Amino acid sequence: MSALLEIEDLNVTFNTRYGAVTALDSVSLHVNAGETLGVVGESGCGKSITALSVMGLIPSPPGRIAGGSIRLNGEELTTASPARMRAIRGAEAAMIFQEPMTSLNPVFTVGAQIAEAIMLHQKVGADQAMRAAVALLDRVGIPSPDARARDYPHQLSGGMRQRVMIAMAVSCRPKMLIADEPTTALDVTVQAQIFDLLNEIQRDFGAAIVLITHDMGAIAEMADRVAVMYAGRVIEGATADDVLDHPQHPYARGLIDCIPNIAKGDAALREIPGVVPPLHLLGAGCAFAARCAHANNRCHTEKPKLAAHGHHPAACHAVQEGRI
Amino acid sequence: MSTVLDVRDLTVRFDLPRPSMFAARPQLEAVRAVSFTLEEGRALGLVGESGSGKTTTAMAAIRLTEAAGGQVLFDGDDLLKLSAEQMRLRRRDVGLIFQDPYSSLNPRARVVDIVREPLDLMDIGTMDERMGRVRELFTLVGLREDQLSLFPHQFSGGQRQRISIARALTTNPKLLVCDEPVSALDVAIQAQILNLLARLKQELGLSYLFISHDLGVVRHVCDDVAVMYLGQIVEQAPVATLFDAPRHPYTQALLAAAPSLKRRKSQGYTRAMQIKGDPPSPINPPKGCAFAARCPKSRQICTEQRPTLQKSDNSRVACFFPA
Ligand SMILES: Nc1ncnc2c1ncn2[C@@H]1O[C@H](COP(=O)(O)OP(=O)(O)OP(=O)(O)O)[C@@H](O)[C@H]1O
Ligand SMILES: Nc1ncnc2c1ncn2[C@@H]1O[C@H](COP(=O)(O)OP(=O)(O)OP(=O)(O)O)[C@@H](O)[C@H]1O
Ligand SMILES: [Mg+2]
Ligand SMILES: [Mg+2]
Repeated sequence: MSALLEIEDLNVTFNTRYGAVTALDSVSLHVNAGETLGVVGESGCGKSITALSVMGLIPSPPGRIAGGSIRLNGEELTTASPARMRAIRGAEAAMIFQEPMTSLNPVFTVGAQIAEAIMLHQKVGADQAMRAAVALLDRVGIPSPDARARDYPHQLSGGMRQRVMIAMAVSCRPKMLIADEPTTALDVTVQAQIFDLLNEIQRDFGAAIVLITHDMGAIAEMADRVAVMYAGRVIEGATADDVLDHPQHPYARGLIDCIPNIAKGDAALREIPGVVPPLHLLGAGCAFAARCAHANNRCHTEKPKLAAHGHHPAACHAVQEGRI
Repeated sequence: MSTVLDVRDLTVRFDLPRPSMFAARPQLEAVRAVSFTLEEGRALGLVGESGSGKTTTAMAAIRLTEAAGGQVLFDGDDLLKLSAEQMRLRRRDVGLIFQDPYSSLNPRARVVDIVREPLDLMDIGTMDERMGRVRELFTLVGLREDQLSLFPHQFSGGQRQRISIARALTTNPKLLVCDEPVSALDVAIQAQILNLLARLKQELGLSYLFISHDLGVVRHVCDDVAVMYLGQIVEQAPVATLFDAPRHPYTQALLAAAPSLKRRKSQGYTRAMQIKGDPPSPINPPKGCAFAARCPKSRQICTEQRPTLQKSDNSRVACFFPA
């Protein structure tokens, strides 16, 4: 069975004052129908750029897809026309952003905005679209959906706005839902509500979800499989259990050991020394080498490929050579 | 063990804009009769949702926000009764670290001057002594001496938080108030800062009033935890008790909501406790328990009467039906 979404060797570059920098370097991912892929990594590692590439929303210029392929249901998206991408967005793939206020229009009621999204992709009249919008608001757990549909975005709490975004995103029953840090701005109890809602929606609509997060706990709860990114590359990918219980790449190991756990206190946290290098300073070798206790000469001069050795795929010479 | 901070019935009200010219000025009670003590060498965590009053409580306790009532005993003196000059002298005993190391450091000042400034302002020591202290602090927080004359933008987020910590420690305070000190940092960097804070607490015998919305971080750093909801403490307990045997339904909901590596989709994890809705508005707080509207255990009495904190052993809980 081929995957619903397949990203292969995707390269994205940005023109900056340091010249062209590579924001995504040979990124390969796939998502099967009905499953959740978690994409995790530190700030700036390329999670959002990956999502925006799929949606055809890379700001260009300065950004550019410099190579590789993105296939949704077998259809190549990197070469699709702008008109075709507009048709795909919303109908076949939809995205939920971190801050709903930036994607909701402040001068229209939320009901009108959802209705408009519906009319854009389906041949229905205004009344029918509005009824569908209210039903969706009800579906995503907004109390008194009739009244709330007439509210403007600023009249709703952050959690409510994120529910509106989800209602809008699923209005045309897309097969692919990309959620880019959908709960970062929310309190944990509200985050839990949104996560539970995403899971319900997945069960009801059979949508595949890409959940972008920097929170390994969210990955554990939500994801079937995980891709760990570092400085524009996928450095490890496997089932959530494999990555969480047997992380291979030293960065993935560090990322899991440095999380303070609610289940136990004490014990010093493992640290990952140093910081992520800026893109324009990336050299020929592994981007993590400077922070890595296992780095040798080869690590500083040759980029490791994502390849399986032992447990599951990791892009690390030390793992592949059996040194760790 | 001596008590560093003894806060009693601390109350803070903010004036809101008049809805119309002749209407009375509405008030918002952000902190409602909050009491807690902080013992020397311990860390007290304040947790709760956005707007629950964590920052306002901490700022009022060190008199950076004006309190409407209550007492704050610090080393025996009521801070709220000190004159402005007496308070200025007291400031050296308290250090402060904020969430955002980017905006809390003056971008045009060299970091050596930023860290030395509290000594300059309070006129402590000779210039040589002050510089010696700055160098000592740089080493203590894991910065290098050759970085002394750089500007804040030349440091990473984690390093900037080290600078804020050095600055907070300049006057050798007893108490460090940390308001979301690692929330803006990536987990890998966060671990570095949390380990640093743990080491400093140990080595310098500091006490922390530690605000965070991340329960994992609180469990790691704190000895005691107070859970706030709509301006009140609803539960307080030693850290292990609070996490392993939470008694207030809101504490239970918070813990159920916090993501954890142990909760796996693969094992069919579903949340044990799910609460609905948002916290009520602090402008017209409900008559009874503030959590009643969202509480799965709520009964009639909960909406009619406000539960007060009941003490048992080292814990306190404000609930008619605690677990
Ligand atoms: N318009 C742009 N011009 C230049 N570089 C850019 C631009 N947008 C993104 N980048 C770079 O691309 C890289 C990847 O950014 P991206 O937004 O995907 O990170 P992220 O993993 O989503 O991080 P975060 O967790 O902070 O959201 C970053 O290093 C960023 O600096
Ligand atoms: N200067 C102010 N004027 C009016 N209201 C205020 C002011 N500062 C805080 N508040 C209100 O007081 C309440 C408590 O706010 P506070 O900032 O203490 O919450 P918090 O628990 O620190 O939240 P967060 O997690 O978002 O930082 C909120 O309802 C807030 O809107
Ligand atoms: Mg992003
Ligand atoms: Mg605050």
